[in-house]
Amino acid sequence: MIPIQPILVVLLVSGVALYFRKWRSKLWDRIIVVGMFVLATTVVMQPELANQLAKLAGVGRGADLFFYVTIPSLAFTLLLLLSRIRELEQRSTILVRELALLRTNARRQD
Amino acid sequence: MRSETRDKDFANSSIYVIVPAFNEARALRDTVTPLVDAGYTVVVIDDGSSDHTLDALRGLPIAGLRHVVNLGQGAALQTGMEYAFRHGAEIVVHFDADGQHPADSIPALVEPILDDRADVVLGSRFLRSEDVGQIPALRRLLLRIGIVVSGIFTGLWLSDTHNGFRALSRKAMREIQLRENGFAHGTEILAEIRRKGLRYIEVPAAIRYSAYSRSKGQPFWNSFNIVIDLLMEKLFR
Repeated sequence: MIPIQPILVVLLVSGVALYFRKWRSKLWDRIIVVGMFVLATTVVMQPELANQLAKLAGVGRGADLFFYVTIPSLAFTLLLLLSRIRELEQRSTILVRELALLRTNARRQD
Repeated sequence: MRSETRDKDFANSSIYVIVPAFNEARALRDTVTPLVDAGYTVVVIDDGSSDHTLDALRGLPIAGLRHVVNLGQGAALQTGMEYAFRHGAEIVVHFDADGQHPADSIPALVEPILDDRADVVLGSRFLRSEDVGQIPALRRLLLRIGIVVSGIFTGLWLSDTHNGFRALSRKAMREIQLRENGFAHGTEILAEIRRKGLRYIEVPAAIRYSAYSRSKGQPFWNSFNIVIDLLMEKLFR
């Protein structure tokens, strides 16, 4: 492992954590996902471009670069989904709670 | 102000005992009856049980609320606290449904709030040697680990963790809104105490471990779920 690798991993994780805790918005979620899609399509359509980018990054082959980029992209998408599930869970909790409270009040009035 | 309330012979009915219950029909009546006899206002939250838990309390003067689906103990406690707050409770007590907390421990638990020395009182199994001896060895080990994990997540270093026996003043009820539906609420409460600057104190709390309460207790692998929930809360809060 070269020294820059752990530093980049820490920066990547911190960036994702900061994004979810502070900067996240629906618009940015969509921009990032669409950006990933455009990048993936470009690389599929222009394999040479991927190879050139890979050489610049010191990875070697375009396929390898694609692989390295895919893993954090999938992890990011998974976090987006988890975050969305938590939001929905919190909303359904509020609904179930209010229903329980309303039904109890209704019983008390009967 | 609290001492004024006490001078006026503080009524037990102002103390709302919140009992979250999930499939507890077998033991619930025995747990709740001493609370009713002591004059507390008892609020039972049936957390989407399939065994008609609330039917076991028929005829008892309690407030019974029902979640139409199972949400978890933290969500049930928050529902109970909302109910208590809206009905003017001065103090709420969290009380497990499986009968492991003796009802006669409540006066000592609420005392620091009545004396205006604390906003939150936390029961601890580790303050008296006789209580520590009651805890099964494996659970004791897990609790020790849990104390460290809770300390790291909350910055609040206590003698016990995830003890379901605690009391909150009206101020604490207003300040603490539980978002953790599952068992991670035990750590979330500590984090909220610190974040909101609430005064807290630990008091000794005996636990009666029966075969039933052990069967209803959290399995040890649930500790892993709690840690993941806490990480999620940290990331997505």
